[in-house]
Amino acid sequence: MRNVLDKNQDKADDIRQLLKQNQVVMFNFISSPGAGKTSLLELLCENLAPEYNIGIIEGDAYTDRDARRLIKYNLPIIQINTEGGCHLDSNSISGALAEFDLNKLDVVFVENVGNLICPTAFDLGENYCIALTSTTEGDDKPTKYPMLFRKADSIILNKIDLIPYTNFNINSFKADLQKLGVNIPLFEISCMQQAGINNVLDWFKVIIESK
Amino acid sequence: MHEIAIVNHLFEIINEVSKKENLSKISQVNFLLGEMQQIVPEIFRFAFESAAENTIAQNAILNIEIVSIKGQCNSCNKICDVKKVFYCSFCGSKDLNIINGNELIIKSIEGE
Ligand SMILES: Nc1nc2c(ncn2[C@@H]2O[C@H](COP(=O)(O)OP(=O)(O)OP(=O)(O)O)[C@@H](O)[C@H]2O)c(=O)[nH]1
Ligand SMILES: [Mg+2]
Ligand SMILES: [Zn+2]
Repeated sequence: MRNVLDKNQDKADDIRQLLKQNQVVMFNFISSPGAGKTSLLELLCENLAPEYNIGIIEGDAYTDRDARRLIKYNLPIIQINTEGGCHLDSNSISGALAEFDLNKLDVVFVENVGNLICPTAFDLGENYCIALTSTTEGDDKPTKYPMLFRKADSIILNKIDLIPYTNFNINSFKADLQKLGVNIPLFEISCMQQAGINNVLDWFKVIIESK
Repeated sequence: MHEIAIVNHLFEIINEVSKKENLSKISQVNFLLGEMQQIVPEIFRFAFESAAENTIAQNAILNIEIVSIKGQCNSCNKICDVKKVFYCSFCGSKDLNIINGNELIIKSIEGE
């Protein structure tokens, strides 16, 4: 009997140890392509960088486009190209963390590769996992991807500005989460209009402050 | 995609085990696949067979045992099947601990 991902798990546990030693808290953002991970990171950097030292790990299949969007904040950013791979793993995170001056950081944000299934199976050693989904993807994502929503520590529903143009039903979205037995913070936001983000910022701040 | 990544990890372990046990041919791999993982068995098998080509695992049989989702209730302690709704089917509690369904486990590797 051997778990196929035991090496990934061991490394993830090492990472959590390393983060703890350096008093750094790491967040793993998982969403489908285009749900708004980079947009949210832009908002988080803009609002949290004045108070905290942030490091970013950008996972992307081929490009550095997202990393380039974040360069303006003048933060340490490590780009991981998965060469088409659909997820990050703890090994690549471990390499990326080694390039940071960890004892100078408070927070590491990891943008995973856009995908709702694969990244969920790979523990990156993060302290918190955020499931990000957007109204244009439909309200049935919790039912279709139970593993992600059960793994997550909070859910961010983005693009609420577009609800009038979609058939997204917030009540059935919440009912589906209920069916999964998921009882974690749900934030309804629009990165575009910067709506609802104060609660999100507070959630992050409380965690970072108590690290 | 996911399937290929998991198969790659599987082969790392196959290689490790075959070195340690001095195997020159792998005949069968018995695998436990949890339903929660959302891995498509046919794609997984295809990925396995592709990866096995020209290795000591060529023509090895991949035996996939699907493990359905089971939860243990933190209220009444009973174990129940989970089908879509993650509630305890005995007492209705939502406080379920998933005890089966996350498996990505190599049960055994057979070879000589
Ligand atoms: N209308 C609207 N558009 C948004 C919102 N947030 C992000 N977008 C747009 O959605 C698109 C995708 O946003 P990104 O932040 O790049 O999404 P992502 O998840 O990082 O995408 P990948 O890295 O490619 O997986 C961009 O064109 C954004 O401008 C929002 O709240 N409302
Ligand atoms: Mg992005
Ligand atoms: Zn019960």
